[in-house]
Amino acid sequence: MGCSSSLPDRSTGRLGGLNNSESGGVADAKNLRVKLVLLGDSGVGKSCIVLRFVRGQFDPTSKVTIGASFLSQTIALQDSTTIKFEIWDTAGQERYAALAPLYYRGAAVAVIVYDITSPETFNKAQYWVKELQKHGSPDIVMALVGNKADLHEKREVPTQDGIEYAEKNGMFFIETSAKTADNINQLFEEIAKRLPRPSST
Amino acid sequence: MEKSFNLLHIIQHRRDGYGFALRPQHIQRYREYANIYKEEEEERSYKWNNFIEQQAKSNHSTSSEEECRGILQAEADELREETVFERGREEDDSSDKNSDSDGSTKSYPGKEVKLSEQPEKEVHLSEEPEKEVQRSEQPEKDVQLSEEPEKEVKHSEQPQKEDHLSEEPKKEVQASQIQERETLLSKESDKEGQLLKETKANKVQSWSWTRPSLHVIENMMSSRVKNIKDMKYRLNTINGDHLPSIKETGSSGESSVAEIDKELCIKETSDDNVDKSTEETNVDSKESPESFFPWKELEFLVRGGVPKDLRGEVWQAFVGVKTRRVERYYEGLLAEETNTDESKEHNNSNAAPRKWKKQIEKDIPRTFPGHPALDERGRDSLRRVLVAYARHNPSVGYCQAMNFFAGLLLLLMPEENAFWTLVGILDDYFDGYYTEEMIESQVDQLVFEELIREKFPKLVNHLDYLGVQVAWISGPWFLSIFINMLPWESVLRVWDVLLFEGNRVMLFQTALALMELYGPALVTTKDAGDAITLLQSLAGSTFDSSQLVLTACIGYLAVTEARLLQLREKHRPAVLVVVEERSKGGRVWKGSKGLASKLYSFKHDPGSLVEKKVSEGDKSLLESHSSNLDDLLSGLSVDPEVDSLPDLQEQVVWLKVEMCRLMEEKRSAILRAEELETALMEMVQQDNRRQLSAKVEQLEQEVADLRQALANKKEQEAAMLKVLMRVEQEQKITEEARIGAEQDAAAQRYAVNVFQEKYEKAMASLAQMEQRVVMAESVLEATIQYQSGKAKAQSSPRSVSSSVESPRRRIGLFGLGWRDRNKDKDKPTNDDSGTS
Repeated sequence: MGCSSSLPDRSTGRLGGLNNSESGGVADAKNLRVKLVLLGDSGVGKSCIVLRFVRGQFDPTSKVTIGASFLSQTIALQDSTTIKFEIWDTAGQERYAALAPLYYRGAAVAVIVYDITSPETFNKAQYWVKELQKHGSPDIVMALVGNKADLHEKREVPTQDGIEYAEKNGMFFIETSAKTADNINQLFEEIAKRLPRPSST
Repeated sequence: MEKSFNLLHIIQHRRDGYGFALRPQHIQRYREYANIYKEEEEERSYKWNNFIEQQAKSNHSTSSEEECRGILQAEADELREETVFERGREEDDSSDKNSDSDGSTKSYPGKEVKLSEQPEKEVHLSEEPEKEVQRSEQPEKDVQLSEEPEKEVKHSEQPQKEDHLSEEPKKEVQASQIQERETLLSKESDKEGQLLKETKANKVQSWSWTRPSLHVIENMMSSRVKNIKDMKYRLNTINGDHLPSIKETGSSGESSVAEIDKELCIKETSDDNVDKSTEETNVDSKESPESFFPWKELEFLVRGGVPKDLRGEVWQAFVGVKTRRVERYYEGLLAEETNTDESKEHNNSNAAPRKWKKQIEKDIPRTFPGHPALDERGRDSLRRVLVAYARHNPSVGYCQAMNFFAGLLLLLMPEENAFWTLVGILDDYFDGYYTEEMIESQVDQLVFEELIREKFPKLVNHLDYLGVQVAWISGPWFLSIFINMLPWESVLRVWDVLLFEGNRVMLFQTALALMELYGPALVTTKDAGDAITLLQSLAGSTFDSSQLVLTACIGYLAVTEARLLQLREKHRPAVLVVVEERSKGGRVWKGSKGLASKLYSFKHDPGSLVEKKVSEGDKSLLESHSSNLDDLLSGLSVDPEVDSLPDLQEQVVWLKVEMCRLMEEKRSAILRAEELETALMEMVQQDNRRQLSAKVEQLEQEVADLRQALANKKEQEAAMLKVLMRVEQEQKITEEARIGAEQDAAAQRYAVNVFQEKYEKAMASLAQMEQRVVMAESVLEATIQYQSGKAKAQSSPRSVSSSVESPRRRIGLFGLGWRDRNKDKDKPTNDDSGTS
């Protein structure tokens, strides 16, 4: 029966990440599927954020992601809708950017992560924002995430910078810590709220 | 490696036999397989030891005859195959004749006249003495090899023996190599050249710690590395069934024929000088010199897995570390590191090395975190190897994934050996894979997508429907060479074959095997996320490494390096276009579907593409190119000199994209239609089911009603029966009463009768009595009258008496009647006489 629920949406031919089958977004008013891609420099904690969100774990010695890895997690919102996040956690090294389009193409959500202790990673985040504005889905929901917020004594990217940059680019901004789990669930809940709902049209 | 073995018992609960972390969900399965692994390990150590001893022995000998003994076995193998595939013989025979004719067989002129079916016999004769020597050294091998007279018998026995060694792959390989053999004939002299190489190689010092027994393999593999003739070592045997796996395309001529080989064996002693001269002429011919070696046997062993304690050295041998190594080069790279680091502080001329260094530092702690062997020293080694490689090949530098390769290699071998092995893998096997643009890696994904579409159309259809691109999953597989993607035993087994073959064929074969194994499960998934999760977790639990490797190697023999090269050529232009576009910041490919899909539809519809182009205008120009669009495209992307038609180029690119997009849309529309149809069918079926179930329900209701009614009726019946019984009983009682009454009535009637009778009697007697009374009265009257008559007669009293007489008569009538009657009775005679 999965097909009978997904087909009508696909045949409406509406644009945008939620409806295109390739985006992995299936819109049934109550049960959304959302393709989400994490981008950002190497070592900013993309995999840790996903692991914290999906498994509730934190492993300080997690291994390098090669290519990309996939995890999914379903959350329930207060209005009793459920959202299944299909999360592509991409490799951070610069040259893997060549493969990134494979994963962000058709994504409904992009979470761009930087490390608040490293301005370099913040620059890299801006690169990703530009890249997505150029090549991503036009109505992609973008979130800018300053990770490692627990290391505030080593902070080098002021929160204000993140807020301003996010505002300028119509993104949603949050600082998280995968280590302490701070704001991790909030991040995904906030994303969920911002998703265009198929029922609203 | 040793370290991890020692730690095995301590860490077993969390880590596998190699010291790698196990995922919690896999611990149970790993334990189940641990014993299988152990058994397999024992078996393969035994086989490898046999093989190596045998090779080593022949390696040590300097005599040509000794080497011929090795050939003998290869020949035996070959012959066995040839009994099945006889057409393979033809080339052999002809080559045999050729070698005959070149006069190199003077040592055994008479024996050259032989049956082509039994070529090895001849050689045997010459080898007999030597085998006997060997027999004393290696008893178990001699069972196979010695005893000349029995050879023929054995020859017939061996096929059975070999049967379990999975002959199927051999057969197919053989078929493909018949062609190679044909080319061989022309290269005979080249082979002769190798004889020289062998003799020279004897002098080469072994640099690594590789045990001498492995030098045979090492040297043989070294021949793949480059045409360094001085490093070449002519190995002892030759087998027609070589792997078609040499790096260079044109190297397929490596396979050779037993007969030739034999000739060469013989020649070696006699014609050394001749060979030298021929060698000189052949070295430059750019052919990969192939060593004479039991490839088939080794291939079989490799597919069965390399024993743990040999793995490090065997891998080095496969990669050709010895040949690659340049003295002091590694140390030089490391020394350079410190120098440049200092200089970089001042001039920032080259940022790349710093970037690599930084990335390496980031990644070192994230490489097999917690592995017992990667302690502080292990990490230092890892760092040095990675930095040295980045310096060695700046066009690649450092790329994530290398850290895992280097880490794995360091677990198996010393640092510098690991470096050279890494160099071999990255520079040769994965050339262009991990560069800044990762072009070859992208090309391989397109190639893989084409292959998988070809092999599993249904699966890919389903994935298309779900919106899953194969490259999402296969990309990480390829880039990591399955490290962290499969259980370690499987990873190592795949690496065994991959390093042996010397190319990326095994990547494709393994990925296809995984798709074969898990495709059926994938087809059942309902959404993209489930499909990917399922495939990831299934791949991650592929503990049956033998099944995987054999499925990969035997199931996908058609996936050869030649085929892959061809496909890569086909797909590379598209990748280059994209890379170029990206670097320009163009948006050509934006928003449309996957590259691979694009190419797919593109290549399947060249005709329509041409049409479209023509309709676009500019006909004359375009038509001249339309016959070979791919060439044009590659020309556009690769060759910057084609600047004369920039507009046209753009147009072509744009049109292609447009075309691709349209084709893509069409394809997805068709897919959607198909899926809709299935869904509809499902719904219809569901509908029918619903109707039927409604009917069933209704009928059930009716049945229930009827049952209820039936029950009621039965109850009523029971009640009636009761009533009936009661009535019957009453009836019986009444009947009885009636009978009683009747009887009474009868009795009464009888009584009435009796009374009647009595009454009648009484009446009768009454009447009699009355008669009598009457009689008596009359008698009395008569008497009275008599008496009165008498009185009258006596005179006169009569008058008086008459007055008195009347009352007396009355009395008599009413009260004196009885007395009268009695008087009558008393005096009947008187009365009777008187009256009568």
